[in-house]
Amino acid sequence: MVFHGVFAPESFAEFMRHRAARLSIAARPRRLEDARIEVEVEGDADLVDMFEMACSLGPLDCLVLDVERVGSEPGSRR
Amino acid sequence: MSFEAGWYAVAIAEGLEPGTSAGTRLFDKEIVVWRDQDGASHAWEDRCPHRGMRLSFGFVRGNHIACLYHGWQYDTAGQCRYIPAHPNLEVPDTIKVVTYPSAEAGGLVWIWSEMTAEAPVPPPEDFAARPVRSLYVERSPEIVAAILDEGIAGPFEILSPVSFATAIEGATLRLELQPFTAERTALHIVQTDGEPDAAEIAMWSEELRAVLEAVPPSALTPEAHLARAMR
Repeated sequence: MVFHGVFAPESFAEFMRHRAARLSIAARPRRLEDARIEVEVEGDADLVDMFEMACSLGPLDCLVLDVERVGSEPGSRR
Repeated sequence: MSFEAGWYAVAIAEGLEPGTSAGTRLFDKEIVVWRDQDGASHAWEDRCPHRGMRLSFGFVRGNHIACLYHGWQYDTAGQCRYIPAHPNLEVPDTIKVVTYPSAEAGGLVWIWSEMTAEAPVPPPEDFAARPVRSLYVERSPEIVAAILDEGIAGPFEILSPVSFATAIEGATLRLELQPFTAERTALHIVQTDGEPDAAEIAMWSEELRAVLEAVPPSALTPEAHLARAMR
């Protein structure tokens, strides 16, 4: 899953960690940059959708402009 | 003075009917108190784990409370059991509301002031009482307690730093102080003895609130205390 926007990378990483823990899915950050966040996500498809929705709002100090998914598999999305 | 972790009354039990919820605060922490259809009361953090909406705005459905925002339903342990947008989803255990230990005694709902699975001390023992009313006073809990301690609002027996008793109009009343926020205090009043005279007690309650909000800070200085003691 790739988030494009304007990020405080550490803040967004913590936000992802918290939401992934709440949803009981795995979220492994792969790239944390000011304009691009890449994270490998694994879990139930519905919960991964919820994760994407939660992160698309993000923390107050970040702005998500677009979300892209690559390599998604049914039931185990990334 | 400062208040310690402990059991605090947060509502008149009779006022919390089955199938209803209400928001309150303790030390400025937002709390939802709700009663399920089986009659058990619950006190939780007033925040849906999904989007942070206050659960006190939600609806009680049987023994679940549902968030007003997206309808996520939580069972009596705070565990999310149903998400309308994903009706077939087996909801993970991690989607859970933070709960407070709670109990009912003396016609009041009590909660332990810290979020923890179990309170380190048992809740207050039950005592015979008839509910009177809750008073919300625009004054800090410390000042309200000091005014009651000092007898400025009339004679009160001090049962604990947050519990007071007084005799009024042929009835014995017990007042439980709830530190609501830094500037607001709730007093939950029950009658423990005597025949009720609702009109007299209602007038007395309003007068008490007026005194609690009007006593000037100068009346609570050590010098003022000494002057009262020497009278």
